[in-house]
Amino acid sequence: MKPAARDREGQGFAHPSCIPRLRRRRPEATRLLRPMAAAGSAKVALRVAEVLETIVSCCVGPEGRQVLCTKPTGEVLISRDGGCLLEALHLEHPIARMLVACVSSHLRKTGDGAKTFIIFLCHLLRGLHAVTDKEQDSLISKNIQTHRRHWKNCCQWKFISQALLKFQTQVLDYIMGHYLSKHFLSIFSSSTKERTLCRSSLELLLEAYFCGRVGRNNQKFISQLMCDYFFKCMACESGCEEVFELVDDYFIELNVGVTGLPVSDSRIIAGLVLHRDFSVYCPADGDIRIVIVTETIQPPFSTSGSEFILNSEAQFRTSQFWIMERTKAIMKHLQSQNVKLLLSSVKQPDLVIYYAGLNGISVVECLSSEEVSLIQRVVGLSPFVLPHTSSRYETCNTALMNFCKPLILRSKRYVHLGLIGTCSFIPHCIVLCAPVQGLVEQHKSALHGAFKMLRQLFKDLDLNYMIQASDQNYASSPLTYKNSRESMPLPEIVNGSMQSPYQGTVVENKGKLATTQTYLKVYSNFVVPSVELETHIPRSIPKVTPTDTYQTDETLRYLSLARIVDDSEPFMESNSANSTTENTRIEISCENLQVTEIAGRGSMLAVREKSLEMCTSRGYCFSSIPAGCVLPVGGNFEFLLHYYLLNYAKKCRQSEETMVSVIIANALLGIPQILYKSKKGNCSFPQIYVRTLHAIQTHQPMVSSQTGLESVASKYQLLTSVLQCLTKILTIDLVINIKRQPQEVYDQDSEEEV
Amino acid sequence: MSRLEAKKPSFCKSEPLTSERVRATLCVLKGILTSSYGPSGRLKQLHNGLGGCVCTTSQSSALLANLSVTHPILKILTTSMQNHVSCFSDCGLFTAILCCNLIENDQRIGLMPTTVIKLNKHLLSLCTSYLQSEFCGCRILVDFSSTQTLLCLVRSIVTSKPACMLTRQEIDHISALILRAFLLTIPENTKDCLLLGKSIIVPLKGQRVTDSTVLPGILLEISEVQLMKILPIKKSDTFKVALFCASLSGDLSDTGEGTVVVSSGVSLENAVLDQLLNLGGQLVSDHIDLVICQKVVHPSLKQFLSMHRIIAIDRVGAALMEPLSKVTGTQPIGSLGSISPSSYGSVKDLCTEKFGFKHFLHLIPNEATICSLLLCNRNDTAWDELKLTCQTALHVLQLTIKEPSVLLGGGCTETHLAAYIRHKICNEPESILQDDGCTQTELQLLTEAFCSALESVAGSLEHDGGEILTDMKYGHFWSAQPESPSVVDWPDLLSRCGCGLYTSQEELRWSFLKSTRHPFAPQTCLPHEAVGSANNLTLDCFTAKLSGLQVAVETANLILDLSYIIEDKN
Repeated sequence: MKPAARDREGQGFAHPSCIPRLRRRRPEATRLLRPMAAAGSAKVALRVAEVLETIVSCCVGPEGRQVLCTKPTGEVLISRDGGCLLEALHLEHPIARMLVACVSSHLRKTGDGAKTFIIFLCHLLRGLHAVTDKEQDSLISKNIQTHRRHWKNCCQWKFISQALLKFQTQVLDYIMGHYLSKHFLSIFSSSTKERTLCRSSLELLLEAYFCGRVGRNNQKFISQLMCDYFFKCMACESGCEEVFELVDDYFIELNVGVTGLPVSDSRIIAGLVLHRDFSVYCPADGDIRIVIVTETIQPPFSTSGSEFILNSEAQFRTSQFWIMERTKAIMKHLQSQNVKLLLSSVKQPDLVIYYAGLNGISVVECLSSEEVSLIQRVVGLSPFVLPHTSSRYETCNTALMNFCKPLILRSKRYVHLGLIGTCSFIPHCIVLCAPVQGLVEQHKSALHGAFKMLRQLFKDLDLNYMIQASDQNYASSPLTYKNSRESMPLPEIVNGSMQSPYQGTVVENKGKLATTQTYLKVYSNFVVPSVELETHIPRSIPKVTPTDTYQTDETLRYLSLARIVDDSEPFMESNSANSTTENTRIEISCENLQVTEIAGRGSMLAVREKSLEMCTSRGYCFSSIPAGCVLPVGGNFEFLLHYYLLNYAKKCRQSEETMVSVIIANALLGIPQILYKSKKGNCSFPQIYVRTLHAIQTHQPMVSSQTGLESVASKYQLLTSVLQCLTKILTIDLVINIKRQPQEVYDQDSEEEV
Repeated sequence: MSRLEAKKPSFCKSEPLTSERVRATLCVLKGILTSSYGPSGRLKQLHNGLGGCVCTTSQSSALLANLSVTHPILKILTTSMQNHVSCFSDCGLFTAILCCNLIENDQRIGLMPTTVIKLNKHLLSLCTSYLQSEFCGCRILVDFSSTQTLLCLVRSIVTSKPACMLTRQEIDHISALILRAFLLTIPENTKDCLLLGKSIIVPLKGQRVTDSTVLPGILLEISEVQLMKILPIKKSDTFKVALFCASLSGDLSDTGEGTVVVSSGVSLENAVLDQLLNLGGQLVSDHIDLVICQKVVHPSLKQFLSMHRIIAIDRVGAALMEPLSKVTGTQPIGSLGSISPSSYGSVKDLCTEKFGFKHFLHLIPNEATICSLLLCNRNDTAWDELKLTCQTALHVLQLTIKEPSVLLGGGCTETHLAAYIRHKICNEPESILQDDGCTQTELQLLTEAFCSALESVAGSLEHDGGEILTDMKYGHFWSAQPESPSVVDWPDLLSRCGCGLYTSQEELRWSFLKSTRHPFAPQTCLPHEAVGSANNLTLDCFTAKLSGLQVAVETANLILDLSYIIEDKN
């Protein structure tokens, strides 16, 4: 590659050390110099991505299969984790390596979605390729001069990458915030400020997660295990974030892998298991206290930096005697404090062990620093500082414990501590069993990933889109709404195809006007206890009343309120003669009606939360994806985004924007395509596609053949990561191969001054 | 820096199981395993060209540990089996053969891996729930009031290891010894949790097998020179013992991170030796009879102690420390200074004994759960095999205490289970069909594959070309002498079924195991009197076999689920 580049350029690229500079240049400059390779990189990237896609797509979704990775050390790993597979491949191709780097940086952020990343990217590249091919053909007919054609081609890539960037920063967030957000469900099952986590929706979420991570026959079991673990560890609802954080940080310390047993023997045990045996064990009951030390209890002859001068044998003997007496005294003191267990991060001398045994104190040595800090965090205990004066001992820092006993798993002994947690984490351990170590590792990393994912899910994700672009539309929405109360109920904000469904429902509801109320009541009793319903009514009143009064207020809050009324428009309209209170009543019931319809299909709780969450969430999360937002699995997110992007593209003025939106919208379908690949008949992809789009259009709940939920935030982050990666690929025009030792790169520093 | 080397890209293979090479190697592995299975299994001589001794064995643990497999799929399979064996000691070959059979059969029928895995899992859960159920026809509850069942269990294990080269009489002797050794590890009076002791196997090679024996307490091997020094032991009720874990060699303990400056003329060695002799003085004044040290004892101290008629044994090693502290009922002493009187232990009796050409100091405890199994065999390889067998048997007995039931051995459990599954699937397939969405045909194909995999494990017990049959009432396993006429009077030719529970004199109908036959319901609920009357049953460990079954199916599922292999060749 290198000599060829030099020939073509003739610009003195003789020294390869100019590569860093070359890369740092602005893309336009490089592209002008080197038009030939521009199209190449996208093409090459497509080829690379397609190869990776074939490997990765066999592991996607609930039907995905396993991949066996061997390591040079002889270890055998079983994996379905995309990131792990890509790492194991040790790809050589530079574009492929860049791709892997992008994926792993995405994984570091979210811990999920490597496979989807590759598939989505591959479809995007394919889409781009198809589009540019077409345009090239048209260009050829017009333009004969090849150089100019390439130049044009380059501009095309540049425009595309800019359009992608613009899309990612502006359009995507807007669509997420404005259109998709009304479809979001929540994992919390409460409408009040106090969020409570709903167990069944968490189960659905985890099941869907593990479907992509562990072997088919263990998915249910592992997700159940994780769910149990989480609820056992959580002391109170409010502390769940702390639990996620703690488990994520100390995951290695919180599980024990056992090989040679069937997976179904995995279980959760209360307390903490340390991966080592007691140095000395004295059975103890009742009031057990522990103490942590980080240094040897037996004082050494000399400390570092000091000199100990021995002048006589008697001096030696007395100093040894002193050391012994002091050790004895400290251990006695610990015993008097009712300490029954000594945890040490260092190895203790025989003498200490002996005196500990005499005083009925069990000792565990050589704890890792992580174990020590975990115990410190769980029980809020700081290490015992050895007193420096021999006579006086203060009461030391101890913590109470339920039990402390050896635990034997597969003839290996562990220390089992019944710690009493002082924070919102109740210590529990997972014992993971599997026939081979590779499987234990897979389950471990899947569980760890699940905690990472949950940790992400419980954070709000901000969407920063510029409102002024869409301001016009939305500013007018209250006004149009006001109008609509008098005349037809359809505001202009709902564009194109959105219009017809609204009208449809309105007409329908008008017909049913008489029966609506009773009908709704029946259903609302069915799902939500009437008490709960009652409590919601007063809360909604203030929400509706301002709709009568506001005129031109453009704050976010009012916008959101407008949207709420918007949604229940058909019913409002039909009841416009009634009083406000009645209106609110119906508004709530209308939400509930929706609930029951979906509830019939089995995911009752998940959607029920929707109705409750929607009321509150819209008020404040206008420009963010609130914590705990989920969507049903089976490509729901992709279908929704596809639909809204196409709609958006239709009314776009700029051609690039339209093109990019369409390409992305179509590429999104690649994921459900793979998910439904093996399905036949009624569940085949085209069928699902048509049905889902119809459902979105007519505002019916979407059909989904699979149960399970997935996090919206992680999907959104995945999308942005892929788009960033794609822009990166498109901006590279030439890959230069250097056959030299990597240390030459140090020239970079001097390069700065040039 | 120059050592930095670019990593080579990995190899990536799709659909590994379809490759001819993998099938061939799997087949070879299966051949090795099946030919070693059972009491009449053929022995394998493992011979490492790079050194080490030649090992003659038919046990899975020795076999799998020494085989070097390179293909990742085989590696998964063998490590899975090794892990099973290290958990349960027993049923390794059963697990490995079943796993190979399952992979082979499921490959042959060529269904989607998804369906295969789902259905295998269902069939497995049918098996496990049947084996654990009340009415299981191949499980016997262990009656701890007599040693009959346990002895049968031990004898089955010893019999199934032909590489031990034992005669019938020797098998009986060894089985009885193993059982006695195990019973000695059970504490006399326990509170809520049973904490078993330990049987220490003491090697004595080159002696007759019948010279093996079991002794309570610990045997410490001593050289003849040491023996000379030990004066005739005086008789007394108890012997006071001091057990040291700290070194008594007089080396300086850790002096810390700083520097220690010793003025000239000051001899630390003398100081430490003085300290040791002081310690010796204390031991003498405390009327200690025996000093045992994990590490080295200084010769001067030894001399001093022997002058005061105290026996000193050093370098016993870390492995013996725990049993020693149990036998003497004390904590190892880690201090050279003043020793609290509470840390001395005692033994009931102390004597020197000679077995073969070795001298031992025998510590007889007052009451402890430690015993020594003095194991003899003619040569090294046979002794190694016998030792493994004893460990297996002892472990199996421990497992049986935990879960007090045993399974019928000799292939009868496998054929019975296969018959049960066939019948169950034939009569009530709805339960599986409903929640899986697979077709009836798929289910039948897979059930056949699963059951024949089980049956051919049983079939692997026969190595001499004999006919293998199953009866149509109990579904037990029968094997006939080879080269018998094709149409014969079966009751005359067959004597007992594989496990020895039933004789051919009952009114039974037989059918060849390989032939197809109508599913029939094997008789469940083992009659109690039948079990009581029959001695010499062949039995298997329940826990090990159940877990082996699960591990085999899980491993097979795992291997069938592989779609790619990525090999990192760096």
